[in-house]
Amino acid sequence: MASAAGSRIREALRPYLFLAPAIVVTAAVIIVPALQTLWMSLHDYVLFRPDDVPFVGLGNFIRAFSDEIFWVSLVNSVIWIVACVGLQFLLGLGTAMLLNQSFWWRGVARMLVVIPWALPSVIIGLMWTWMYDLNLGVLNDMLLRSGLITTPVAWLARADTALPAVVLALIWQGFPFFAVMILAGLQSIPDEHYEAAEIDGATRWQQFRFVTLPALAGVIATALLLRIIWVANSLDVILVMTGGGPGFATHTLPLYAFLKAYSAMEFGYGAALALLLSALLLVVVAGYVRRTAREGLQ
Amino acid sequence: MKRRQFLSLAGAALAAPAVTRVNAQSPATVRWWYHFDNPQATPGDLIAKFEKENPGIKVQAESIPWGGGNDYYTRLYAALIAGNGPDCAMVKLGNQARLVQMKALEPLEPMLANWAGKSDIADNLWAMNKASDGRQYYLPLQYVVLYLYYRVDLFAAAGVQPPKTFDEFLKAAQAVNKDGVAGFGMRGGGGGHDHWGTFVLGGGATFDKGGMVSPKALAANRWFVELGTKHKVFPASAPTDGFRQIIDNYKAGRAAMTIHHIGSANEMVQALGDKVSAVPVPRAADGKGWTSFGDESNAVFAASKVKDAAFKWISFLSTGANNVAFNTFTGQLPVTTSGAANWTLHPKRFVDASMQSLPVMGVLPDHPKTADFTRTVWPQNMQRALLGQIEPDAMMKAIEAHFHG
Repeated sequence: MASAAGSRIREALRPYLFLAPAIVVTAAVIIVPALQTLWMSLHDYVLFRPDDVPFVGLGNFIRAFSDEIFWVSLVNSVIWIVACVGLQFLLGLGTAMLLNQSFWWRGVARMLVVIPWALPSVIIGLMWTWMYDLNLGVLNDMLLRSGLITTPVAWLARADTALPAVVLALIWQGFPFFAVMILAGLQSIPDEHYEAAEIDGATRWQQFRFVTLPALAGVIATALLLRIIWVANSLDVILVMTGGGPGFATHTLPLYAFLKAYSAMEFGYGAALALLLSALLLVVVAGYVRRTAREGLQ
Repeated sequence: MKRRQFLSLAGAALAAPAVTRVNAQSPATVRWWYHFDNPQATPGDLIAKFEKENPGIKVQAESIPWGGGNDYYTRLYAALIAGNGPDCAMVKLGNQARLVQMKALEPLEPMLANWAGKSDIADNLWAMNKASDGRQYYLPLQYVVLYLYYRVDLFAAAGVQPPKTFDEFLKAAQAVNKDGVAGFGMRGGGGGHDHWGTFVLGGGATFDKGGMVSPKALAANRWFVELGTKHKVFPASAPTDGFRQIIDNYKAGRAAMTIHHIGSANEMVQALGDKVSAVPVPRAADGKGWTSFGDESNAVFAASKVKDAAFKWISFLSTGANNVAFNTFTGQLPVTTSGAANWTLHPKRFVDASMQSLPVMGVLPDHPKTADFTRTVWPQNMQRALLGQIEPDAMMKAIEAHFHG
């Protein structure tokens, strides 16, 4: 009896033992830091005052809701995510359709398209900063020579152009991700589907609308969800190009949290801002997890 | 030679010096953090010289990314709190208050009392580096003073003299502000508070309670903001221009004046030759002025287990010829009187402009919130004022609120 019960327990424990290494690693690199962030967010934790860390409960969160810069950053974040991900997707889709055609230098073209994705963000930030430069930038030079503008534009120093300018840099960086994902999806669509559609008299647009898009839906949804999470969190390009300025014109939530933590050294408030961003992103993450779970079942 | 054979030989060769040294006398290892603007510069020769003179001490120099100061200090604070900080490090006055509040610094008076090199460093440098609690934690290492660069040729063509007062500055800036050349290459991005300080702190604003919102301070700031918004003598990109932009634009002939220190002098001369010169920054009508004193010191940390060895290393760097050697690759000025006497690294006119600026030099307050002021509060509010999003007075109120709640 006893040995039978013992073996049942062992049997029940076995899967957890196999999972243990993964759980330990996850705990060390994700769960513990997340709990630490939660702890910080409930305290007035200022890095240069390590002996005086009072508990403030939800004080940091309440402060965020009455903080003008928090709301500015939130609105900018929404613009940032919608514009970056939306336009990256459209550009990526177009690029993938082109790269799916057959032409003799297709192999080279597919390789070249990945370059922006492969460059480090800091390099991209610096590169675009100089392209936008008032006096020395190539963009102003081209626009002046072509007669489209008569005086150079300080793209990154104007409140109305700074955010679009940074968004453009990020679109350039991120569209290859969509292009590569969608291209892979396109290649998995059997030719028979197009032949059948053609026999039924479908036009090119109808083929795209009723064959290509439905077949790509899964890939597109996964790519969009992943990219939303990445773009929502990314601050490196903004930090390099404008530092959040001019004024608060390019402040997004992760950037604001970063500046609060690493410039003001207010780790408590920074942690609260980061948690608020995480809460908003959880909606997207939940969608992604549900998708992958469903794909796993299929 | 087979690959494995080569690797084991190479490994043995690398390990050998370490092994013999440990066996010889197990030296005290001093961990020192530093940052140089020029990544190719290395303190290797100085360390070799020091280790030869002090066989019991080994220096482990760690180059830490500067990142406008923020990267460096974030790492430093985090390392100190985590108990893994260096024994000594290069530090600036703007961060002394935070480090004192963290109880991270070791007072140097007992060690300084027995140090022969102390008198070779001028008294005003010692005084300037004292902490607000009256203790001496910082050992001066190098310095720069900000002055006004101006274009000799453009000034001559416009028939104006280098400005001595704010009024003359505005007149000169307007006279040369044409043909795609901005009168003054203003820095509105990170680090630009130095430009603002010359005119607003020089014009009467102070960091004492109420000092940013006094009538005099508000008027000085309005005058400064209007240089951009009304007189348009700043380039359009001024709100976000940083160090690289102001220097490169100046070198490209896009600005007739800018404010920086001797660290950029050789680069300027290389691009513009005799067409660039420098004078002390202009002063207010009442003769008062302000220019940023760019300090750099070394400090020993309280948590170090090898404080005496650490002090030996940092005092070595601030001694006569060593200090001169150190400053030749940082491009700043030596702190020793003997070193300054025979300084040849920069053209004389820039050294003179630095020296002549000393009477009005100042530093930002020794306050825990100073670092955040320079990194976010000042640029954000300056940019909004320059873009007309807020009134100049609102900018000063925000700065007052940052320091005094």
